[in-house]
This record gives sequence, structure tokens and C-alpha cells, in this order.
Amino acid sequence: MHKLSLFVDQSSLIYKIDPISKMMYAMIAFLTPYILPHITAAIAITALSFSLLLIGRVFRHIVPILGVSLLLILSIVIVQGLFYPDNATPLFQVMGLTFYQEGSEHALLLTLRVLNMLAACGVLILTTPPDVIINSLMRLGMSPRVGYVLLSVLNIIPHMRATMARITEAQKARGVELEGNLKTRLKSFFFLMGPVILSSLNQTRERALALELRGFNAHAPRTFASASGAYPLYKISRVCVVILLLLVVSWRLYL
Amino acid sequence: MRHSQKWTASLSTAALVLIPTAIGINYLGKLFAGLLKLPLWLDSIGTILASMLAGPFIGAISGILNNVMFGITVDPISFVYAITSGVIGLVVGIMAYQGWLANVRRALIIGLVVGVTAALVSTPLNIIFWGGQTGNIWGDALFAYGLSIGLPLWFASFLDSIIVDVPDKVATVLISYFIFTGLPNQLKGLYARHNDIQEL
Repeated sequence: MHKLSLFVDQSSLIYKIDPISKMMYAMIAFLTPYILPHITAAIAITALSFSLLLIGRVFRHIVPILGVSLLLILSIVIVQGLFYPDNATPLFQVMGLTFYQEGSEHALLLTLRVLNMLAACGVLILTTPPDVIINSLMRLGMSPRVGYVLLSVLNIIPHMRATMARITEAQKARGVELEGNLKTRLKSFFFLMGPVILSSLNQTRERALALELRGFNAHAPRTFASASGAYPLYKISRVCVVILLLLVVSWRLYL
Repeated sequence: MRHSQKWTASLSTAALVLIPTAIGINYLGKLFAGLLKLPLWLDSIGTILASMLAGPFIGAISGILNNVMFGITVDPISFVYAITSGVIGLVVGIMAYQGWLANVRRALIIGLVVGVTAALVSTPLNIIFWGGQTGNIWGDALFAYGLSIGLPLWFASFLDSIIVDVPDKVATVLISYFIFTGLPNQLKGLYARHNDIQEL
């Protein structure tokens, strides 16, 4: 079954860093362009995030993620360049439309923030499987009940996708139209969703009973089925992340 | 009374298990809407059903965790809107408890309220993160037009959100309502928190 994840299975330096450090990096990098509202800072942190992707040898895999946000970025560049409220200095003209300097600079900052956010998240999610992220959060003290909920999403979605394929085939065999006018398609949405929802809600009842039977609500301390991965760069990466945070904060105070 | 306490514990497990299912339903709704080329996202049916079945708290958690999981597995942009999804679950759950699920017309009002609330919550997020846009062509065209005729940024951005959110949320709530009314009572009772189990 196709797994629900953006994780790229290979090995490189970034893979040797523990998930919590990467998560801390993603958060700090994400916040940096907001803490330091200067283009230089945004460029610096975006460049750092992208070079981490390069070092991690996952640069090529960030492209589809950026592609999803391409429309948003295009819209930022066009709308802010043309209509940013503080626009005053014309920069250049395309097909009779005037792009302004103020708006374009603002658009550049916003675009960098979007790119940086995606790249910073990419450093974490492209190099760490989602279940490892959740497990390390549980080791850090996240409630095992929340951990169960998150981990089971990873299992349920591929399962439901398989159910969906089966039900689509069955309904097609019964003559449900998947093409046609809007009304027909909206109607078939019910024919497809209805059975999937009903069957998955029925399964929750069985799953709840099974969990209860296996001591899901027990108050005894939990143990882990899988050993924590070995992260030789654990200490260095934590120190690096803290230094990055101190750098950002002191730059802000210095300004 | 020990009898009913036991029941409460098992009900809360059922409600907890409902959360990943709700997230899965959200995901499938979006997938089917794409497959059938419907002009809507329909990606919060699960959150809304969870709110109708198990109340505002479970609904809000389903919404927030939905965006967190979608963020780490599909598209990081969805982290930004976790609060919006949480509020959607909260609003539907509260209105469902207050009897707004009685008929289609009342459900339509839930849809309108959810759409406007979602736009209200998303607007500051859109302004902070993308300078006011949503990334939806029609909404952003309206945003650009609003700015060009001199509307304040926040208002143009609110219009951008509302034109996208209201039709989608009204459709989503109505679809969820029809599915909810079609569910067997056995399932509806499973998650409800204010069940009084009478002792024999």
C-alpha cells in the first residue's frame, strides 16, 4: 500500500540528526523572517534551509512541495507588485500594467517567507518518517493517547484509500456516473462517500473495543515497542540549533 | 452508578478513535472532490461529522490534528490553517448541541456561520503569512480588485476569504448533515458524551 508520507528513504548527514533537533530547527527557521523583518535575514535563513536540503541530498524532492504553492507565490508577486497599498515608485511595465518598487520588495519578502517555511519543514519531513517524529515526541512526554491518534492516522488513510478504490469500482459496476453535469457528479459524491464513511465509523467501534481490551486506558507507565534510533550527532545538532536561536534573538536585540 | 462510569471510559475511547477516522474522511472528501472535478474542496467533512457526533471538543481536536498531520505528510502550508480547522470543529459542535441539526434549513445556517467564522479566523493568518492572499484565483482576483479601488487591506483580504470559504463550508456542512441524518442511531449514540445510561 502506498504510504502517506513525504519521507525519502536514503542516507546522508541530515538523516543522522535526531528528529527533535530538526523540529526545533524547522520552528526557529520558520519564525526567523518574522522576528527579523529584513530582507537580508529572510535571504540568509532561506539560503540556510535550502543548503541543509542540499546537504541532506533531498533538494530535488522539495520541488513538488514548492510546486503546490506556486500559484500562491505567483499571486503574491502579481497582486502585491501591482496593488500594494504603499506603492509609489514605478519599477517596470508589462502589458500596460505598472509594477511598483515597494510592492515588489514586499512580495520578495513574502515569497522568501513562503519558500523558507516550506524548505525548513522540508528539512524535517523529507528526512524523517512521520512515525519517527511522533515516537520521538512521545519519548519527550507527549501523551501516548495523542500519539496513538496521530500514528493511527498514518495507518488509517492508506486503508481508507484502498476502501475508496474498492467502493468506486463497485459503484461504477452498479451504474453510478462519475462524469456528467455538476448535479450528477455531486450525487455520485454521496454514493462514493456514504459507504466509506459508514464502514469506517463502524470500524471505530470495533477498534475502540479492541483498544479497551488491550489496556489502552491502563495507568501503568508505557514502554516503547521500538528502540530509539541512534543519532550520533545528537549533542552537536542541539548545540547548533541553540546557537542559531541565540544568533537570531541577538540580531533582533542589536537592531 | 459504577456501571455508567465504566461506560464513560469506553465512550471516551470511542471518541478518541473517531479522531483519526475523521481525519481520514477529510482526506477522502478532498480526494473524491478532485476525482469528480467538483468546484469545491470538501476537505472538512470528517471534522464536521466528528463535531456532530462527539461534540465541539473532539471536533476541534480533529480539525487541528488534521492540519498537523496533513502538514507533515502532504503539504506544510496546512500548518498555518490548523487554528481555522479547530474553530470550524468548535463552532459546528456547539451549534449541534444547541439543536441546529433539527432540519436542513437550520443546517444551512450552521454552514453560513461556519463559512463566515472560517473567513474571520483565516483573514489575519492570510495577512500575516501571505500579505492577504489565499492562493485561490477567484478570491485573489477579488482581493486585487478591492485593493485597486482603495478598500483597506484587511477588508479586501476578508472578501477574498469569504468568497472562497462560504460556498465551500455551506456545501460541506450540508453534505455532512445529510450523511449524519442517514447514520444508524447505534452509531450516533456511541460517541455522545451526555448519554445517561439507565441502570436496570
